[in-house]
Amino acid sequence: MHMSTRRQPRTAALSTLLLAFGVFTGSALHAESDLTPPSREYYAYVCAESEDQVALVRFGPSGIEVTKTITVGSFPAETEGPHGINISPGGRYWYVSIAHGNPFGSIHKYETGTDEWLGDVQVGMFPATLDVAATTGLLFVVNSDFYGDHVPSTISVVETSTMTEIAQFESGTMPHGARFSRDGRKLYSANMMDDELVEIDALRFEVGRRLKLGRTGHSAGGHARHAGHEDTAAGHGAHGQPSVEPSWVTPPTSGGMVYVTALSGNAIYEVDTGAWKVARRLETPAPGPYNAAVAPDERLLVVTYKKGDSVGFWDLDEGREVARVSTTRRIPHGVAITSDGRFSLVTVEGVGGEPGVVEVYDNGAFRRVAQIDIGKQAGGIALWERN
Amino acid sequence: MTMKRTSPPVWLALLAAVFFLLASPLAAQEPAEPATGEEQAGDEGAEEEEKPPIPAGAELRVSPTELTLEVGDKATLTATVVDGDGEAIEGIDVVFFSRNRRRLGVNPAGEVEAHGPGDVQVIALVPKEAEDEPRRAEALLRVEVEVTIPNPPVESVEIVGLPGAFYSGTHLTLQARVVDITDVVRDNVEVAWSSSNTDVAVPDGFGGLDLLAPGRATLTATAEDATSQVDIQVARNPTEHLELTASADEARTGDVVRFEAVGRDDSGNEVEDLPIRFLVAGQSATGILAPGATAQIEQDGAFVAERSGIYTVTALGGSHSASVPVRVTPRRVNKEIEFVGQGKVSDRRTSDLWVWEGTDGRDYAITGTWGAEGHAYIWDVTNPESIVLIDAVRVDARTVNDVKVSEDGRVAVISREGASDRKNGFVVLDVSEPQVGVRILSRFDDQLRGGVHNVFIHDEHVYALSNGRRFDVISIEDPTQPYRVGRFELDTPGHSIHDIWVVDGVAFSSNWDDGVVAIDVGGAGMGGAPNNPVQLGSYAYPSGWNHAAYPYRSESTGEFYVFAGDEAFPYGELGRDPRAAPPRAAGWIHVISWDDWENPREVARYQVPEAGTHNLWIEDDIMYVAYYNGGLRVVDVSGELRGDLYQQGREIGMFMPYDPDALVPNSPFVWGPQPYKGHIFFSDWHSGLWAVKLKDPEDPNRIIGEPH
Repeated sequence: MHMSTRRQPRTAALSTLLLAFGVFTGSALHAESDLTPPSREYYAYVCAESEDQVALVRFGPSGIEVTKTITVGSFPAETEGPHGINISPGGRYWYVSIAHGNPFGSIHKYETGTDEWLGDVQVGMFPATLDVAATTGLLFVVNSDFYGDHVPSTISVVETSTMTEIAQFESGTMPHGARFSRDGRKLYSANMMDDELVEIDALRFEVGRRLKLGRTGHSAGGHARHAGHEDTAAGHGAHGQPSVEPSWVTPPTSGGMVYVTALSGNAIYEVDTGAWKVARRLETPAPGPYNAAVAPDERLLVVTYKKGDSVGFWDLDEGREVARVSTTRRIPHGVAITSDGRFSLVTVEGVGGEPGVVEVYDNGAFRRVAQIDIGKQAGGIALWERN
Repeated sequence: MTMKRTSPPVWLALLAAVFFLLASPLAAQEPAEPATGEEQAGDEGAEEEEKPPIPAGAELRVSPTELTLEVGDKATLTATVVDGDGEAIEGIDVVFFSRNRRRLGVNPAGEVEAHGPGDVQVIALVPKEAEDEPRRAEALLRVEVEVTIPNPPVESVEIVGLPGAFYSGTHLTLQARVVDITDVVRDNVEVAWSSSNTDVAVPDGFGGLDLLAPGRATLTATAEDATSQVDIQVARNPTEHLELTASADEARTGDVVRFEAVGRDDSGNEVEDLPIRFLVAGQSATGILAPGATAQIEQDGAFVAERSGIYTVTALGGSHSASVPVRVTPRRVNKEIEFVGQGKVSDRRTSDLWVWEGTDGRDYAITGTWGAEGHAYIWDVTNPESIVLIDAVRVDARTVNDVKVSEDGRVAVISREGASDRKNGFVVLDVSEPQVGVRILSRFDDQLRGGVHNVFIHDEHVYALSNGRRFDVISIEDPTQPYRVGRFELDTPGHSIHDIWVVDGVAFSSNWDDGVVAIDVGGAGMGGAPNNPVQLGSYAYPSGWNHAAYPYRSESTGEFYVFAGDEAFPYGELGRDPRAAPPRAAGWIHVISWDDWENPREVARYQVPEAGTHNLWIEDDIMYVAYYNGGLRVVDVSGELRGDLYQQGREIGMFMPYDPDALVPNSPFVWGPQPYKGHIFFSDWHSGLWAVKLKDPEDPNRIIGEPH
C-alpha cells in the first residue's frame, strides 16, 4: 500500500489545528462565512443498529427533531441490527436491512409517512447496504457477512412488490456499499476483504467487472484474518489480507465517476466507470474513510472518517479536502446530502451506551449546524423527499 | 437551532493558507497502487450498445403465456417488444426472473427448468429509461407467466407396518410408504385402500382396517397409478379373555398410570400380535364444572388425567374388552411464592444471571445488562432480603447477554455483543474475591467477533457461541490465556445456534429449526472431547423455535429428559406495536424423553396460555421457568411426564415481578431463573435481580385458577 509515513504525522497535526479552529483550506468551494438557516424541511430515516429502531428525523427552519421512532425486527429480546436503509425512487416506501436472523438477515418494507410494516424477506448473512433501481423496481442488497469466515458472500435481488428474493449471486468477500447507476442497469459495490470494486450487471444478476484497488485477490478460500473493521498496519497487504478495505461506493456521477472509500487504505478512489480504471487516488488526511456522498452539483464529496471521528469535505475539482470537522461523538458512519445540496446529514455511532447522533452540516460553511441524539449505533441513513 | 453570522478572523485565514500549502501535495495523486489494468476482470465488452427507444404504447409479449412442465423439464420463453402497430422492436433488454427459483429456474435467455412441483410465476420485464418520469421504482413493461409444475407421478406404494398375525374382530391402523419418480417419499398423496373380500376385511375409510371374520383377503393400497397388494390370512381370534392391569389404582393429576393388556387363549397363553386399543372415559370430580377433556390414554397404555375424578380405562382386543377404574385426586402441589429481596436495576435492561458460593463462603450473583453500556453487576446475595451491589465491570459492548461462573467459583465469563469496534467475543473475570473486587483476566475474540450470545463453562473450558453459527471450545485452564481447542458446527442448510448447556461431558445446543443437538465432549463415551466434539443425536420440532435446552435426569424415575424451551415473538399481533404494549412472546417447554441418543421422543409440554418461555432451570424435580410476560413459573416435574403439564395442575406457583419503578413500570419480563439455597433468584429484563421463595399456602384449600 502506498503511504507516506513521514507526511502523515504532519498532516495529522495540521488537521488537529484545522479541526480546533474550524477553518477550511481555500478552494473553489468557498466556505461561506454566514449560515443561512434552512428554508424548508428535510426528512431522513436513520437506523439505530444497537437499538433495533429507525428514527425519522426532521431538520428545518425550526431546528432538528426526531418526529417518530419505529421499532423494527421481530425479537425484542434479541438485537437484530438494522444496518442499511433506503427509500424507493418516488419516495413511497422505505426498506431496511436487518442484519441478524437465524442465521440469515432480512429486508423489511415500510410505507413512508405511515411507517406501516408491509412485508419482509429473508436474504443472506448480515445484509447491509441496499438500493432500489428506479427503472426495474428491483432491490439489491449486499450480504456483507461481516462476522463469518472470510469467504465470498453474495448479493440478493428482491422483487419489492411481493418481497420475494428472486436471485442471490456471489460477489466477493464482505461486500459493502451498493449504489445503482441512474439507469438501474449497473450496481456498484465494494468487496472489503478482496480490495475490489465490482460492477454488477443488474439485469443479469451477475458480476460484470472487477477492479482491483489493493493487493488482495478475489479469494475462494478463507482469510487468515477475521477482523471486521480493525486497523490494518501499513505494508500488510499480503495475499489473503486486504490492504485498503474499500467500504463504500457512491452512485456514478453524470460523467460516470464513482468514489470509493478505502477504510484501511486511508484513501478515496475516483473510478472512471467508463474506462473502468482509477482516475485519481486521493489520500485522506484523516484515517478510516468509510461512507461518502457526492453533492448534486458533483463538485463536493462529503466523507465520514470512521477512525478519525470527523467529517471531511472534498473539492472534487481540485481533488483535495477543503475542510474537516470533528464529530460530536466517536465513530461516524453514514452520510447523505440533501437534494438541494445545502446540507449533509451524518450519522455517528457512538460507543457503548452512548446515543447515536444525527449531525447536520452546512455544505457552504462546512460547519455543523444541528445535531440530535437517536438510538445507539446510528448507521444507515436515507433522505426522504416528503413532498 | 440558532444560526448567526460570523466572520473568520484574518489569522484563521492565514492559518488555512499555510495548511493549504503544506497539505496539498498529499491530496491529489495519480493512482500509485495496482489500481488499473492487469487484474480487471470482465471488462471486455463493457461498451454499452445503443438501445433503441421504446415508443409509447409498446407492449411486451411473452410466449407461451402459460406453461405446464414436469419436474426436470425445460422450456424457453420468448419475449418480444412490439410497438403500437405490432411491429417487433429489436435490441430491447428483457429481464426474466422466477418468484420461486427453488421450484423453477430461469436464465437471462428465458430458458426455464422445473426443479420441484408447484405453481410459479415467471416475470419478464423491460426496464424504464433512466430519465423516464415519474421516477418510481417500477419497470416500463411487465408480464407474468404462470408455470404449473404438477407433482411427479407416484412410482410406488408399499404397505408397511402390518402385524405378524391377523385376528377376526380386531382393528388395525394401516400405513403405506409412497415414493414418486424422483425418489421423494411423499406424505401428500391420498392412499385408497380396498379389500378383495369384504366379508373378511374391510377398510373403514379413515386409514383403518376392520377384520371381520376368518378367511383370506387381498389388501390393496392405491396411490395415483401405483398399487400394492398384500395377502392376509385372518384367523379366528383365539382370545378367550383380556387381562388389563394398571400400575396404580389411584393417582394424582399429572401422574402417569401404566396400563397393560394381554389377551389369553383358552389355555391361558398370551395371544401374540393381538392389537389392543385403549379407551378412557370417566367423570371428573364434582365441583369441576364444564371441565373439557380431562384425561388421556396413549396407545402404549400411558394414562394421565388433568382433572380429578373417577376414570375407567378400557382395553379392546377384538370382541373382548376389559376395564379398570382409576381414582384421580388433585395434585395439590401449589404453594405461594413470596418476595424476599430485589437488586433493582431500573435504568437499563437486565439479562442473564448466575448465583454462586464464593471462596469466602458468602453468596454472590452476577447479572448482565442488555442494550446498554456493557456492564456486568456483581451482587452480594448472602442475605437475599438485602441484595447489595458490590461491584460492576464494564466492557466495550452494548449487551452482556450471558454470564457464567466456573464450578469452583473463581472465574466468570461474560459475553459481549455490540462492541464499538465490532470485536465481540467474551471476557474472563476473576471473581475469587468479589468483596475485594472483580477484575478482568483476559479477553478472547478470535473468530468470535460476530457477537457471543451465550456461553457455558464446563471443566475449565468455555463453550462460546460464534456469530450464531457454531460453538467454539476455549480452554481457560489458565484464565489469563484462553485458547481455542475445538469447535462444532452443524452442516444443515441455514443452520443456526442460540444456546448451549453442558452437563457430565455432553453438550446440548439449541438450534432453532434444527432443534436440540446432543454432542459428546468427553462424557458420553463416544469418542468426544472438548477438542473433538462428536454429535450424538438431535431432536427438532416443526415450529423451529428452539431457543434453550436443559438436560435433566429425573430423580424420581431415573428417566433422562431434555426440556427444550421456545422463544417466539411476537405472540400473533400482540406486542408487535411497542407503542401499544410491551412485547409479548409465545412458545412453551417441550419435554423430550432421551434415554436413547438415536430415539428422542417428545412426550409432554408445559405451556402457559398467552405467554412465552425464555430460560429455565431444573433441580430436585422442580422446573423453574422464566416465562417473559408470564412471570416466574415453578413446576412439579416429578414422575413420568406425559401430556400437558400445565393443565395437570403441576404448577407449584407463579410470581409476577411488578415494579412501579422499573424501566418499564409494572411490566414483568422474566429472563432467567436459578434456585439457590432455598431461594429462587431470577432476573427480570425491566427491573433487575429478584429473590423469592416458596412457602406453604396459608389456606391449602383455597383454589386460585382452575380447580384440579
